[in-house]
Amino acid sequence: MSLCTTSDLTERWTAGSVALVHGSGDSGVVTPSDGGLARAIASAPPGAAQAEESELYRRFAPRVRLYGLKHLRDEAAAEDLAQQVLLVTIERLRAGEVRNMDEIGSFILGTSRMLAGSTQRKARRRETLTARFHAPELSVEPSVASGDIEAVERCLHSLAERDRRVLILTFYVEKTSSEIAEELGVTGTVVRVSRHRALERLRECVGLRGHDGSVDLRGTRTS
Amino acid sequence: MTNARCPEPIEFSDIVDYWTGDLSRADEDRIEEHVFTCADCARELAEAKTLARGVAAVAREGRIGAVVTDAMLNRLAADGARIRMFTLEGSGIIPCAVWADDDLVVSRIRADFDQSDSVTIVTRLPSGDEIGRVSDVPVRPGQREILNAFPAADLRKLPATRVQVIVTAQVGSDERTIAEYTLEHGGTFDRLNT
Repeated sequence: MSLCTTSDLTERWTAGSVALVHGSGDSGVVTPSDGGLARAIASAPPGAAQAEESELYRRFAPRVRLYGLKHLRDEAAAEDLAQQVLLVTIERLRAGEVRNMDEIGSFILGTSRMLAGSTQRKARRRETLTARFHAPELSVEPSVASGDIEAVERCLHSLAERDRRVLILTFYVEKTSSEIAEELGVTGTVVRVSRHRALERLRECVGLRGHDGSVDLRGTRTS
Repeated sequence: MTNARCPEPIEFSDIVDYWTGDLSRADEDRIEEHVFTCADCARELAEAKTLARGVAAVAREGRIGAVVTDAMLNRLAADGARIRMFTLEGSGIIPCAVWADDDLVVSRIRADFDQSDSVTIVTRLPSGDEIGRVSDVPVRPGQREILNAFPAADLRKLPATRVQVIVTAQVGSDERTIAEYTLEHGGTFDRLNT
């Protein structure tokens, strides 16, 4: 079992300085599958599969972070979740406790669900205490690069009025589809269709569309 | 829009519904299972999140030159935005101005909008130059008020000037003016001097 701390491991993984491409005979380079990475980590002596661990972190930490944002609604908690989940995953791989290496993604999702559930229970307890003692919560909004905001602002203005309003009510005011429908005097289906159309156009307008490693607002590649 | 490399891609609309909480628990689970085994679809989800965050950031900074709702203004006020409001109603010249620390200036336009199911609001200078145009603003039967917002930073670039706000509606083949207001914009005031 590794004695490394979470920060030691994530520092090593995020450094990403080790290239991870394997030769495949005469046909050039091949990127290992997720299962291949898991097997390499599991079969290596402790500390000998740094490149594979970094690659696993690079592939899955953004997904766990997204899962955390969706379910915990907190940027810092999502970041913590990503680090905890990958730490547990690597330790379980090293200890030979992951049975099906080819389903390492499902294992990571299961670990994310388990740890996020625990975080949510702690958050609920904290909210109860906060309400009881009237202590204000500090909320930290995620920072967004000004260039990104300008692009989104410009593209928002190119949308139809109703579509723009639906996006702002959804993502800023955080209203549900039925609440927006009531406010605009339309059905929930109209709201969802409007939101799909608007986000598609916005995605195209800001130049995010593409599957070759889009950059998110934090400047990290997501694949 | 689907993705080219994933053999069983998730529709972007489903990804958006997942992110906004519009799916059943079973469908959410299905999408999560897929995203954790598919880098392409994980990227699509990251894009949806990026756009959502961008929209929220634009709104939070008061950079909304658009029709807004009371819910949006309440949220902005809760986030600490300084919002200046002017009511446009009836005839006569309406004095207005922008202050150095304002984030958003909102015209509360009151009129009878029943002639059409959508209107266009044009804001222009005496020269005829438009400083704002919002087209196809949907209106509900019986609606008597529209909130039209301007980023205060944009208005601070204006000198003291007269400003016209014209609300038009498409009625049959005709575009009719259904309300018209004149504002006397006094320029930008520094809070210390007022």
